[in-house]
Amino acid sequence: MTEQNDRVTDILRSLQERAKELNCLYRIEEIINAEDLTLDDVFRGVIDAIPPGWQYPDICVARIQFGDQGFAFGDFRETEWMQEAIIRVYGEPVGALEVAYLEQMPQADEGPFLKEERKLLETIAERIGSCITHRRLLETMQSMQESEHTSRRAGREWSAILDLLRRTDQSLLMRVSRKMINHLCWSGVKAARRLLQDFRPHQTSDEPEVFFESNQPRGKDMPPSATALADRVFELAGEHLSDDEIISCVHNWIKQDRASFLVNTLENYHTAISEVSDAIQRYQHAGHGEVELSPSTRKGLLVSLVRRFLSDQLEYINVAKRYVEIADFHQLIQRLIYPAHGHGKTGGKGAGLFLACQIVQRHRDENELLAEIKTPKTWYLTSDGMHDFVYCNHLEDVFSQKYKEIDEVRQEYPDIVQVFKNSQFSATIVKGLSLALDDLGDKPLIVRSSSLLEDRFGAAFSGKYKSLFLANRGTKQERMDALMDAIAEVYASTFGPDPIQYRTERNLVDFQEGMGVLIQEVVGTQIGDYFLPAFAGVAFSHNEFRWSPRIKQEDGLARLVPGLGTRAVDRLGDDFPILVSPGQPGLRANATPEEVVRYAPRYMDVINLNTNKFETVDVAEFLRQVGDQMPAVEQLVSVYADGNLRQPLLGSVDFERDDPVVTFEGLLNRTPFVKQIGALLNLLERELSHPADIEFASDGKDLYLLQCRAQAPAKHAKPAPIPRDIAYSRLLFSATRYVSNGTTPNITHVVYVDPEKYGQLGSREELISVGRAVGKLNKLLPKRQFILMGPGRWGSRGDIKLGVPVTYSDINNTAMLIEIARKTGDYTPDVSFGTHFFQDLVEAEIRYLPLYPDEDGIAFNEAFFTRSPNLLAELAPEFESLGDTIRVIDVPRSADGQVLYVLMNADLDEAVAVLTDPAGQAEHDDASGQAVATTDGQDWRWRTRMAESVAARLDRKRFGVKALYLFGSTKNATAGPASDIDLLVHFVGTDQQRHALEQWFEGWSLSLSEINYLRTGYRTESLLDVHIVTDEDIANRTSYAVKIGAITDAARELLLGNSTPPAK
Amino acid sequence: MSTKPFNAFAMAQAQFDKVAETLGLDQGTKDLLRNPMREYHFSLPVRMDDGTTKVFQGYRVQHNDARGPAKGGIRFHPQETADTVRALSMWMTWKCAVAELPLGGGKGGVICEPHNLSMAEQERICRAFVRQIARDVGPLRDVPAPDVMTSGQHMLWMLDEYEQIRGGHYPGVITGKPVGMGGSLGRTEATGYGVVFTVREALKELGVRPHDTIAAVQGFGNVAQYAIELYNQLGGAVVAVSCWDQEDQQPYTFRKNDGIDLAELRKITDRFGGINKQKAAELGYEQLPGEAWIEQDVDILFPCALENSITADNVSKISKRVKLIAEGANGPTTPDADHVLHERGVFVIPDFLANAGGVTCSYLEQVQSNMNYFWEKDEVLGKLDVMMTSAFIGVSDMARKRKLYMRDAAYTIAIARVAQACKDRGWV
Repeated sequence: MTEQNDRVTDILRSLQERAKELNCLYRIEEIINAEDLTLDDVFRGVIDAIPPGWQYPDICVARIQFGDQGFAFGDFRETEWMQEAIIRVYGEPVGALEVAYLEQMPQADEGPFLKEERKLLETIAERIGSCITHRRLLETMQSMQESEHTSRRAGREWSAILDLLRRTDQSLLMRVSRKMINHLCWSGVKAARRLLQDFRPHQTSDEPEVFFESNQPRGKDMPPSATALADRVFELAGEHLSDDEIISCVHNWIKQDRASFLVNTLENYHTAISEVSDAIQRYQHAGHGEVELSPSTRKGLLVSLVRRFLSDQLEYINVAKRYVEIADFHQLIQRLIYPAHGHGKTGGKGAGLFLACQIVQRHRDENELLAEIKTPKTWYLTSDGMHDFVYCNHLEDVFSQKYKEIDEVRQEYPDIVQVFKNSQFSATIVKGLSLALDDLGDKPLIVRSSSLLEDRFGAAFSGKYKSLFLANRGTKQERMDALMDAIAEVYASTFGPDPIQYRTERNLVDFQEGMGVLIQEVVGTQIGDYFLPAFAGVAFSHNEFRWSPRIKQEDGLARLVPGLGTRAVDRLGDDFPILVSPGQPGLRANATPEEVVRYAPRYMDVINLNTNKFETVDVAEFLRQVGDQMPAVEQLVSVYADGNLRQPLLGSVDFERDDPVVTFEGLLNRTPFVKQIGALLNLLERELSHPADIEFASDGKDLYLLQCRAQAPAKHAKPAPIPRDIAYSRLLFSATRYVSNGTTPNITHVVYVDPEKYGQLGSREELISVGRAVGKLNKLLPKRQFILMGPGRWGSRGDIKLGVPVTYSDINNTAMLIEIARKTGDYTPDVSFGTHFFQDLVEAEIRYLPLYPDEDGIAFNEAFFTRSPNLLAELAPEFESLGDTIRVIDVPRSADGQVLYVLMNADLDEAVAVLTDPAGQAEHDDASGQAVATTDGQDWRWRTRMAESVAARLDRKRFGVKALYLFGSTKNATAGPASDIDLLVHFVGTDQQRHALEQWFEGWSLSLSEINYLRTGYRTESLLDVHIVTDEDIANRTSYAVKIGAITDAARELLLGNSTPPAK
Repeated sequence: MSTKPFNAFAMAQAQFDKVAETLGLDQGTKDLLRNPMREYHFSLPVRMDDGTTKVFQGYRVQHNDARGPAKGGIRFHPQETADTVRALSMWMTWKCAVAELPLGGGKGGVICEPHNLSMAEQERICRAFVRQIARDVGPLRDVPAPDVMTSGQHMLWMLDEYEQIRGGHYPGVITGKPVGMGGSLGRTEATGYGVVFTVREALKELGVRPHDTIAAVQGFGNVAQYAIELYNQLGGAVVAVSCWDQEDQQPYTFRKNDGIDLAELRKITDRFGGINKQKAAELGYEQLPGEAWIEQDVDILFPCALENSITADNVSKISKRVKLIAEGANGPTTPDADHVLHERGVFVIPDFLANAGGVTCSYLEQVQSNMNYFWEKDEVLGKLDVMMTSAFIGVSDMARKRKLYMRDAAYTIAIARVAQACKDRGWV
């Protein structure tokens, strides 16, 4: 019992000591900050305040020695039991603070003193030092101001300031003098140069070039004594400069000097974020206004800060330095989490958002709509947080993951995720995250990856790493656990197979990955069990998908969805966001109520607060249940009744009985939203000097900016370089109107509906059968490797004479839809921009291009289209009679093995279709020189190799096989990671053999499928698609047998293992 | 193959000429009926959103109004031509006549692409159109309606402009208005119900009781759903419906041999008549290829979705049991297939009779608008029943008396009625 009591007493005593120390420190702060006290009073007060903070106040005395003065408490005398701390001003010792016990006391950490008391003493000494500095500057300033008032009368009053400095702060005097020499030199005062040389004895004016050319180290200049330098410099200044100029220079330099500690901290590359952060805090707390800095110093400071915290990309810095203030960084570090001794940055997303916010802030007066744009509360975890995490848990091996084979990476990834999720964060980070959670409250959060690669290589890296939504519900501990779990998962995603493969392909694998993390509150409101924004979306300042010739590229594009913006970011294929062009808000992609309803969003993403999960819900069902609670719902939906769409008035929708459709008509027509987004896009594009790409969300009241980056075109939607020296024979057509950006590569087939012949068809049935033939060809030709070219308007539902009547399913495999507008008389018909299925085309990334062959300067190789061999009769014999109208051209066959590339450049408004060797594709792939989509090649090569292995091991006699053929995508070198291998077996055996053969293939198929999964991550049930044909089939040319010796796309025979074929 | 390009008007005239021959119409009547009586072509200067002015070309064609005010839609189409509008107005004359409506035929259009126009610009086009034609349309002269790329909204703008000019309320000047703004109840049901009213009458003639029949339906949109609803009420069972699957971009047929449950299917169907295939499977529906609806062993086929669904290729797949085909869609049968059906003796209710429920309801909307008194839905549908039944009997009597195929009988009676009206008026 007593032992326990003793321990309790110990703890209590220790706590009491800490309390005393704190009280002491508070008291001293009070005294120091009392500006009306003289320095002497301050010293006396401090001396009084010290003893109560020490363990044995009754016998404790203190003394301050400063200059020739000594201030002591009580009857200070030097004893055996003393401790001392040096008081420094600008790093120079100016005095000492001493504490002594008058009697011997029990031994503690440092004699009778506690280690806490040592710390306390140092702190007090430092505070006294800064107090002295502060007061000196104040005095200097006051005397300078006084001298300014009297300078005109009193002539050389500035010399009084110098006197003052000489007495109070020689190091400052020296810095000011050096600046004055430089100033005089730059002002062209020759004597100043001589003076400078006097102080630099190793350099003479006769041989200045030696400085640049000599390989010898230069001798170090010995600094002259401060007063001597000052006297000579200012004597010279007095001769050459006016009194006013000298006063104002000295005045400014003294002011600027006050921020020097921040400059020094930042210029030293070794200072950790924590020190930089302290320096910024100190700078900010000291109440320095930035006006006190010279423009160049200020700019230098800002650039250092930008480089430190945000990005070292020159383009970024260039813009950022115009927009950020030191105070902004002060705010940033309030919400910055970083490891101890860290040097990290916020990462690409963090930097993009930060800069965009500053730009919007600075222009809020320009447009009141901009002033209303908000950003959600965001905390930043710096990029080296991931390294800290890895080292902290001894996971260093993970960094070599990227050098492993991709199948190994894929196999190990799930374990990495688990290991990461079960690892600990360092105490500093945990503390930071805890603070963040306290600040963010219990609103749902999104944990966004913010990678350094994203920063460097733009949007190409977006979506490669994880972003996770958190419901953020439960106790603090539960919320912390969920948050750390999510961050660990984001970290782990750096080592996932997809990003690694992507980096390998682009030679970025050696770039040291740093992963910043943004912890952002999710914009939205709670509705029932769900949390969601009223709407969200993405917007681009350049519109690459124009549905009308009246829309220009710079009119921009916004993709809007109800709920979380995830569905607007990704192309969905089966669901549609609402498209609006802020520069032309009246022109909608969908004109009729049927189209509007057909292309309305049907699903939305939400956070389920009950299950803590991210979910996709049916919009109609959601609205039926809780539509009433949805904020601003009347702006989001129109009511569909009897084929009409009505914009509802406030509260007029009956969600149980009406049929609400998400159209955003109210939002687009009756609120300033479109103008707001337009203004934002224009501003960002103008200030970033680059098209901008933003994400936004609204809770129904305010618009929030969530992300901003430079708009980078999607894959195959980059502006293609247009070659100028194409031989006429290689050019199939060119276009100069309504061109979008992109490259349609590797086209092997063209379906050409001859406009003139189509126009001459005599009956409606014939016109309709052209549409059906196209639908058939769409299913037969290799997906995304053929283009459709036809008159006027594809999918025309009115007068079908002017456009082939097709639905989207008849054309959904084409790579490109081309509408040819031929002049008839004086009249060139309209093209449709694919309006009938515009949104389908956009979501499926099918390109659209109108051609005007009869305009001046346009190339159109009509002979190629009308004279190349026509495969229609072979592919679709039932449509043979339409052979004049529909021409199916096998490009490699008609062009000596070349394939077709369509290169489009919206910036030039030019497009060309050129014949190119399939091998020469890389030259057109990517303007930036990074090879793209090289995986395609790997996939078919691997498949071919595997097919050959299978063939080599196939025992003809055992299975009764006469021949084995390869066809389809593997043979055509178009196989992708999810393709199967099409094999055709010419079989002559018995039923038993056939059964055995099928089993043998099944084994191969399963094994290959597994290997393919490890290579690519694509799961397929089986990889081999084996078709067995008999002699009879071949004779009758039934089913797949037609592939053997076919005219187009014939199957390729594979070499079998043992060479003698089995007897029939 | 003909080298003469396809021309809708030439085709409509050829079709007329054929029937006129069988009716032995005199040259004067033929000359009158093979061309429109009145055509208006006008320029519509319209102020665009950007302040510029663009001039659009507009048309209104009144083919014939011997039986009553002309009736027909206004289309917004970028490739509108005078010939297209002429052809469509002629078809409207026959369509109203076959349904025994006291109306003539008309059509209008503006050459424009609504995808390139804002709603404000479209409103200005509508109003400009009415300013040009206000003197020549009206509840007693010519009654426009929505058509390709025009909707109830366009009709309301036009109505408003007309009433501003005339200084009074004339809701009967235009049809296709939303309910509550001069529209009629029962419009949604009208076409589907109309199909089944004719089916009911046809079964009576064939001597078959509806509840002894089963049917297969192509499509599950508005027309199909209401047709099934009424057919079920009569006692018939639908065993298969086909519909478009948006996800797979191809149609499927859903089959339940003891009859589909309409209410249950409607719950798992989207706005466009797409049935959720997973949920259908859970409910015990068999999922077959899209074309399978046509092969079902049923008594009645209802093609209610697309043009050219019954073709020379698939007509042979139609079960021998099929006695009746009711064309709910426009032009679902190609001429070659139609020929085969005729030879096989299948009773075909041709599209412009079977789906005349729509235009009949427009007429009822006009009637209600003119007296500014609007009926309950039952009253509208009751009148629809009476009118459709009467129209059917007219055609089928003609078919029986003159031993004509139903499709030919429908054309013949329509043209005969219009010709008779012209004669009675002393025009020819």
